[in-house]
Amino acid sequence: MSLLAGQILNGIATGMLYALMGLGLSLITGILNIPNFAHGALFAVGAYLLVTAVNVLGNFWIGLVVAPVGVALLGLAIEYAGIRRLYAAGHDYQLLFTFGLSLILAEGIILVWGPVGISHLPPEILRGGVDLGFTFYPKYRLFVMAAAGLLVFLTWLFLEKTRYGAIMRAGIENKEMVSLLGIDVHRLFTAAFALGAYLAGIAGALTAPIRGLSPGMGVDMLGIAFVVVALGGLGNLLGAIAAGLLIGVAQAIVAAYWTEASTVVIYAVMAAVLLVRPQGLFGIR
Amino acid sequence: MKKENILLLAAVIALPLVLRPAIATEIWIFAIFGLGLNLLLGYTGLLSFGQATFFGSAAYVAGWLLKHYGIGVFLALGTGVFVGAASAALVGYLCVQRSGLYFIMLTFALNQLFYFVAYQWTSVTGGEDGMPGIPRPAFLGIDFRDPLPYYVFVSALFLLSLWIMKRIVESPLGRILQAIRENEVRAEAVGYDAARFKLVAFVIGGAFSGAAGVLYAMLFGIVPLEAIGFVTSGNVVFATLIGGSGSLYGPIIGSFVFIWLSESVSTLWARWPLLLGVAFVIVVLFFRGGVVEAWARFWSWRSSKQKI
Amino acid sequence: MGDLKRRDILKIGALAAAGAGLGFPAIVRAQSKEIVILGLWDQTGAFSDVGPLNDRGMRMALEERDMKVLGRPIRYITRDGATQAGTSTRRAEEAVDGEGARFIVGPWSSGVALAVSEVAKRKKVVHLFSGGTEDISGSRCHRYSFQWAASPYTAAKTVVDTFVKANPKAKRWHLLVADYAFGWSVEKYVKEVGKTHGIEFVGADRHPLGEREFSNYVQKAAANRPDVVAMINFGGDAVAGAREIFNFGLTPKVPLIMSWSSGVEELVQLAPEIRDNLWVGTNFYYTADTPVAKSFVKSYQAKFKLPPGYAPSAAYSMTRMLLAGFDKAKSDDVQAVVKALEGLEMNDIVGPMRVDGATHQTLRPYFFLRCKPKAAMKHELDFADVIATGDAPLPKEYAACKDIGSF
Repeated sequence: MSLLAGQILNGIATGMLYALMGLGLSLITGILNIPNFAHGALFAVGAYLLVTAVNVLGNFWIGLVVAPVGVALLGLAIEYAGIRRLYAAGHDYQLLFTFGLSLILAEGIILVWGPVGISHLPPEILRGGVDLGFTFYPKYRLFVMAAAGLLVFLTWLFLEKTRYGAIMRAGIENKEMVSLLGIDVHRLFTAAFALGAYLAGIAGALTAPIRGLSPGMGVDMLGIAFVVVALGGLGNLLGAIAAGLLIGVAQAIVAAYWTEASTVVIYAVMAAVLLVRPQGLFGIR
Repeated sequence: MKKENILLLAAVIALPLVLRPAIATEIWIFAIFGLGLNLLLGYTGLLSFGQATFFGSAAYVAGWLLKHYGIGVFLALGTGVFVGAASAALVGYLCVQRSGLYFIMLTFALNQLFYFVAYQWTSVTGGEDGMPGIPRPAFLGIDFRDPLPYYVFVSALFLLSLWIMKRIVESPLGRILQAIRENEVRAEAVGYDAARFKLVAFVIGGAFSGAAGVLYAMLFGIVPLEAIGFVTSGNVVFATLIGGSGSLYGPIIGSFVFIWLSESVSTLWARWPLLLGVAFVIVVLFFRGGVVEAWARFWSWRSSKQKI
Repeated sequence: MGDLKRRDILKIGALAAAGAGLGFPAIVRAQSKEIVILGLWDQTGAFSDVGPLNDRGMRMALEERDMKVLGRPIRYITRDGATQAGTSTRRAEEAVDGEGARFIVGPWSSGVALAVSEVAKRKKVVHLFSGGTEDISGSRCHRYSFQWAASPYTAAKTVVDTFVKANPKAKRWHLLVADYAFGWSVEKYVKEVGKTHGIEFVGADRHPLGEREFSNYVQKAAANRPDVVAMINFGGDAVAGAREIFNFGLTPKVPLIMSWSSGVEELVQLAPEIRDNLWVGTNFYYTADTPVAKSFVKSYQAKFKLPPGYAPSAAYSMTRMLLAGFDKAKSDDVQAVVKALEGLEMNDIVGPMRVDGATHQTLRPYFFLRCKPKAAMKHELDFADVIATGDAPLPKEYAACKDIGSF
């Protein structure tokens, strides 16, 4: 069934992007305990910054490095100027704030880049496709799979094997303990938000040549990111990765047989899983 | 009568004189929607980010019956209340076991589920195009197709809804919900099954949302897809927060402010959502508690100044 | 006690002031000399990039007349429909009630237009629209709405007939359709006309409006091994779809048809490799050889650098049609203008047009183009050549508009 095999490949590619988004959001919701409704907008900003960076610097690879850093800096600014004051404010105000932010970012994109969708081609060497036998597949998508996979692995490595990563994981588990150990929890929060923003930004940058850019491109991604986090368990990083891949593949397989239902399926899977396991597939809380 | 009620009555009477009846009607409909949401948000402490699920489902079902079976106004309303309550019971059952961020995300994601089902089920809902052709049946010889009679009808329903909600929040049920909001563990310890009461709050909130949904469909003659989308869910939350979730009247003020902002500013600048986002940020950073609290703070500041 | 009263008065006063900002009834505001025309163009939502283009075209047509008709000033107002049925109907009603608009042009999305058409019927105002749904001049026809775009039947016939003549061996077609009113109508007729040519439709997938992730759809299309892939979608969707169909290696081996395209505005977003073996059907292409088109394209290009695609051209032509209606009726009375539009004939950017009084459908040519390889392009905007036009009207047996109705 080469259609199925091709779809599964698609699913892994999109799943990797979902995993990146879910990972970033899981970090933010896990450590900062806020509902970040601006996560989709950060994704969109990453895509637009990539296009500008490539136009200005003339090189896709440099752009790919620079754009997400730009989003991370934006994340730093947002956390410092706004979110920092809201940790005690209650989820409703955090939500209002991040949602307001998402409006500001989306409209800001329109003001800077205009409302027209922008097409952006992948770099020369990644154009065209390869014949994989069971399907002909675009080179760029294979690259995205590999790059996203590498990023996910590096993030995991950072969180599991480095001291700062351990602090972050501890922050998810028990913030008070972390601050009692003398670690500046504020810095931890800022770093976590910046890292989450970085991951959203690079997901956006990688997506730009695939989906093109439009100011509303973050909205659908936001919903999917929340599903991934809900399925994977808040703050459960491996869970977010697994859930992202699961959703991507499920969507692609359903698309092979019943295309119209492929988006509904994501939310139906989530509802079904949460009925049976309220803590998500991998959550423990 | 208390002064707030006098004001409200005055507003109900005066509004269609200064605004188009259609916009005035929309404000009261949104206020009913907000009252339902605030039972959850303000009184029980549950941030339900998916109220459009009940609003939209009720609108679709009642709209369908109105359009294809020519049912009467009160049957349509009853259907809307029932569908709103039933869908809320379903969603609530799935959600009340969770708390905090999980709860919010779950209500959001379930809203998306309903949205995409409505999107795909084009034979029934019309999908992207919406369900147009919703009539406004006459009642007792009164033709509701004229904007003013419909306005009177809706504003009367609003006043009724407000009275009902007032009775609910002042009843023992209302106080139990507030106790759950303050300290769920303690409420449980005293013997109240928090999950069950949260579900009750959900169902009541859903009933109000459903009523609002049907009135909305009849107002515009169409059930648009957005009625069940997360933007509508977000709008009612934001309007309520801006008005002030800590009071019964907050959602009403929020409805005024929100609908006024979105209708008048949108004709001036295409990028008006930017201003809306800025307004949200400002409210969060400086005016938490919304208009109601800002107003109270202002007057207590004034009266404290005068005392000297 | 005195404090309370003042507070209350202040509150009421604030409310009233706020209310005044929302608009007094039309009786107070509208000046009787002006003719108020509403352009319902999207600035946000799925068609946020099309709205500004529509506005350009409409403005150009009005400015040609110095914003005057019948010796009276025209007040041109625009409202953002947000590409949503609810918002658009609301804003349309507000414009009619609050601003005294009695003539509506737009919106762009067919599904939303159907909803606005109901407002036009209810409020008894003239409504012109260009889009791919057949219902406005079909099952939902009424006295107040007019369709400028070619009937989806005309479009399908032009596209399929011409393509089959050029590619007689391509019998297996796969369709990719936008899932709303416009997509459904055009799909229906592509299939009808295709059957008369013995075409086998090996697959037809629908995607949501605004879709950008086409990999799953393209894989499905590829798996069917079609001879042709035909897309029935528009704007950003069409661009994204065409790009993925190329990336996955379907084109240029397999020809791709964009059945109802915006022309220039989409083609400019596609790299030359993607345009190889691309066939395009459109309501207007800028190389159209008519005097009105030539002068319009020249002025448009001078102002905006790119030549106009379907979106601004439709707005331009519809507005000119409305103005011609005023001229013919010698009045701005809604019923008189409607009667003047019925049976109106004019030579406009697409060539000879005639409005069928029985259905309010404009009978006019539809264009079919073939894109050129990079080597054959004489200048950077020389994307395609018009290889055929067709104006076959909808046959009587398909006509769903049995009675246009009364006022």
